[in-house]
Amino acid sequence: MPYKNILWVYLLFISLTSFVLPQNFGRAAKTKKWVISENSSLSVNGSTNINKFSCDILAYDKTDTLTISKSNSDNEIVLSGSIGLDVKSFDCHNSIMTHDLRKTLKESQFPMLHIKFLSLNKLPDLTTHPELITGFVNIEIAGITKRFEVNYQITEDDQKVIHLLGSRDINFSDFNLIPPRKLGGMIKTKDKLSVDFHLNMKTID
Amino acid sequence: MIAGCILFVISYGGLFLAIRFFPGLFIEYNGPLFNSDGSRDILFYLHAFIISFALSWFWDRFKGLFKGASIIRGLEFGSVYSIIALLPVMWISYSALDITLPIVLSWFVYGLLQAIIAGIVFAKINP
Repeated sequence: MPYKNILWVYLLFISLTSFVLPQNFGRAAKTKKWVISENSSLSVNGSTNINKFSCDILAYDKTDTLTISKSNSDNEIVLSGSIGLDVKSFDCHNSIMTHDLRKTLKESQFPMLHIKFLSLNKLPDLTTHPELITGFVNIEIAGITKRFEVNYQITEDDQKVIHLLGSRDINFSDFNLIPPRKLGGMIKTKDKLSVDFHLNMKTID
Repeated sequence: MIAGCILFVISYGGLFLAIRFFPGLFIEYNGPLFNSDGSRDILFYLHAFIISFALSWFWDRFKGLFKGASIIRGLEFGSVYSIIALLPVMWISYSALDITLPIVLSWFVYGLLQAIIAGIVFAKINP
């Protein structure tokens, strides 16, 4: 009889505790949504052997959403969502360079470039103090997609606007693009491009 | 061929140095008017030989008209070529293409110098 009681107590304990999971289990403990506001921007900086150029998309005109969730299985911070940018929106502050960049990025064939957010190395604290984090993104240019690790700086200002600044050096050759060369190669655009973006976002429930 | 080799060295050497020391003059070459995929580089570098062959025929036909020392003959030859061939081409280029006056003037001076050098070489080797 005592054994039977012990068994019942044991089964009761198992039944009750099976609904109480430790914090590090489960599919996702925390999910937040960040809506990208329209005054976000992206700039691409590069150089030739005779000059430097900076091409911007100053007013990102879409309101995409990024979802940030903490995967409890391995503490990975999953970031999902993407931004699509019109190649024709690039302004290099010089019509010659603007036209040249659009042509190099094959705007007629691939009018959009995409940045797909994949992950963060940690959940940001979101304070007014800039926090440095990293994360992975997929960048698609001219129909080719490559994965890159991006350095981010993230803050949240007094108006609860989240500022996500990302920067990454990429190469034309990463996307099978040929940097422009003129006069038999005497004027050459360097393969390396520096991509910087500034996303302004607000948290939604 | 000798004139072509000399023009090749002087023309592209000069262009290389000009790009190196006066890069601001070449910003406009980033424009879409100029080939940027490298597919015509060989044609670009053959230009010195094409112009030297053309000028050597011109010299052979009309060298009797140019009198004096080699340098004087070269100067006169280059000037005649520039007035007959370059000036009208530069005129129509400037009127029809979206290029600036400094670009057109630089092309004119570049062609004039090429023709003068070719003329001096021809006067020396084929008087």
